[in-house]
Amino acid sequence: MILDEDQVLIKKTLKGDKRAFEELMRKYEKKIFSFVIRMVRNEETAIDLTQDFFIKVFTVLDKYNFEYKFSTWAYRICYNLVIDHIRKNQGQVHSLDDDSVSAKDMLSSENVIRHDGFKNLSQEESRLYIWQMVENIPPKFRELILLRYIQELKYEEIAEITALPVGTIKNRIFKAKEILKKEMEKDGLPA
Amino acid sequence: MACLPDQKILDYLDGEIKSIEHSLVRDHLLVCSRCRQTADRYTELQKILAQPVHAEPPAWLVPQIMKRIYADTPRYTSIAALIAASFIFFVTWIYIYFDFSRSSLVQALRLTANSTSGWLVNIIKAISAIYTSVQATFKACRAFLEMLLHVRLGFPLVIAFVLAFSALLLFVTTRLLLKKTGDVKK
Repeated sequence: MILDEDQVLIKKTLKGDKRAFEELMRKYEKKIFSFVIRMVRNEETAIDLTQDFFIKVFTVLDKYNFEYKFSTWAYRICYNLVIDHIRKNQGQVHSLDDDSVSAKDMLSSENVIRHDGFKNLSQEESRLYIWQMVENIPPKFRELILLRYIQELKYEEIAEITALPVGTIKNRIFKAKEILKKEMEKDGLPA
Repeated sequence: MACLPDQKILDYLDGEIKSIEHSLVRDHLLVCSRCRQTADRYTELQKILAQPVHAEPPAWLVPQIMKRIYADTPRYTSIAALIAASFIFFVTWIYIYFDFSRSSLVQALRLTANSTSGWLVNIIKAISAIYTSVQATFKACRAFLEMLLHVRLGFPLVIAFVLAFSALLLFVTTRLLLKKTGDVKK
């Protein structure tokens, strides 16, 4: 069996090579943290969950099946961890469907808002603005946008992780884009 | 011709519609400015989404996880060393008790060691010296205890003591090594 880069690192980790697991973490830490923080919207919680995720991966690494892609297996663990956390803390966590905090408000706190809307935003600011908006869309859409664009997964891989049919995933991603496009239009973001 | 639904425009941009329908959408976009504007917006949106803004995790995150994982992991080499040490401990006591230093095999080894040279011989000599001194200490302690307690420390009692001590040593140290692993797996 030909092993990919991740699987070689896993083999080394299982043989007790510490550096191999560190390399694996370094490879995934940004993507995992970006996904988690956008789902829970709290830095401290995101840090805790990211730590829990890597420790969980390490403790169950010997159960990993080399026939599957490591990233899909790992993202499924991460996804379940985040969803469990959100379910457990639904009362405490900011309601994820809460629309009261608009992207504009968030940008305002970041000091990038312009009083004349978003017409004069630079390309980089527009990018930041759109990604801030992603954090405010309902979680059932947000999680799929994050899996698709942050984790760069295919629809089939997302289906494997979320246990949703591919059709539903495509439809929800379309809805998410529709919401984002409407927000762009509302705020006058140039196309 | 009526404007196209957004879903159709997105499918066109994603290359998810084929041949004839694809041409129809392309032709429509050429003549309908409203749909073209929608397509432009989605193109821009997709371009931005394809360049995600990653959140930066704190620099200490990975080192901290490494510390949590590896400081608390049972060191299998340590456990193996512990088992080996317990075994040596047990064998030493048996050796001392039965005074194997007088056996023909040990005598032969000692004679070989005396007549030749090299690092292996030196190791044999060192082990032999250690065993002899431990044996002497043991004999002295045993004589002292027998004198003090006015009892004879027979074979079963000594073996039971050695076994119990070896088991206790193994148990306590393994517990200490494995204790923190529970924190990791919780």
